[in-house]
Amino acid sequence: MIRTGLWIVAGLVLGGIIHIAVILLLPALSDTAAWDRVTALTPNDGTQVLAAVTPDQPNPLHLDPELTYAVCRLDLSKGPGTVVGNLPQAFWSVAVYARNGTVLYSTTNRDSTSTLLDLGLFNPAQTRLLAEQKLDIAEGLLIVEAQQDELMVVVRLAPPHPAMRTRYEKALAGLRCGNLPT
Amino acid sequence: MIAVALGTGFGLSWYALNDGRLFGAVEIGPWQAWSNVGVPGPDPYTRAYIARSGSLELGASEGLQFIATLDSDNRRLDRSCRYRIDGSTPPARFWTLVPVAPDSGAPITRPDGPTDFHSARLSRAPDGSVELYVSRTIAPQNWLEIAGDGPFNLVLTLYDTSSLSGAGANVATLPSIIREACA
Repeated sequence: MIRTGLWIVAGLVLGGIIHIAVILLLPALSDTAAWDRVTALTPNDGTQVLAAVTPDQPNPLHLDPELTYAVCRLDLSKGPGTVVGNLPQAFWSVAVYARNGTVLYSTTNRDSTSTLLDLGLFNPAQTRLLAEQKLDIAEGLLIVEAQQDELMVVVRLAPPHPAMRTRYEKALAGLRCGNLPT
Repeated sequence: MIAVALGTGFGLSWYALNDGRLFGAVEIGPWQAWSNVGVPGPDPYTRAYIARSGSLELGASEGLQFIATLDSDNRRLDRSCRYRIDGSTPPARFWTLVPVAPDSGAPITRPDGPTDFHSARLSRAPDGSVELYVSRTIAPQNWLEIAGDGPFNLVLTLYDTSSLSGAGANVATLPSIIREACA
């Protein structure tokens, strides 16, 4: 009886170890699920507008059918990244993702009535250079420092009505996304 | 012993990432959210959840997404039933409610109809509360027509909300999902 109990306790302890191993290893094994899916959908560089979510198409990224999405992948080793453009006066938000799908930075246009999106992305070395140059930073410019070089910027824009979707997608497609020359 | 170990290890991992109530997911009535999914340094469970789901999660300042797989009486949401979603939502700039297929994530609404509820386009009671119906058969008030058979999930996304974060977090108010009639 005691022996059986000990075996079960040993099993539970080993089970706990397996559980911790699975949880810690899972991100390493399927590290880039969201990143890979976006890359498959948008093979090109620059700003890419994701197709609208419809009932007859799978939605692996679990996007909201009400929103329009622009995606841009950046490699900061080629220079600081920038996303600039004008967006309509509606809800929009920006999120910067690392390769493993975690959100490094996010914001919305909550506090500003401005329609200008001006985002600069810098790795630590570039941030140091920026600080040394003591440049005046224009009001409204968002500066994000990232530890990683490979980043993905996602801009979400919410058309007030589905009928305005095409116009809002055009506005998203007009966002300029790329590397600044160094 | 090996069977107990494998059962506990993988069973607990599966549970943690699917249900997650004990491991970092927040549960309010039938709704569940991973509250740390949009922060720069998520905990190991949230990180494993992000890796497994492979979806574009909302950043912490953008909003918060709740998913319901059960109704308020803990029965699996089924497309053959009519559901009333009743109550009020936490303060947010706007919210959307989408019925989706559990595996593909695609909306399960009628192909040529609306795909979701949008908080700005609803008929409301004088006190601001809403009554939403999700069903294959016609329903009063705000009705979203769904199609097909089998289970489904409800995804409620609050944009620009302060719920679950910081001072004044207000999470007590999420609508209940009431099963009415089944075909």
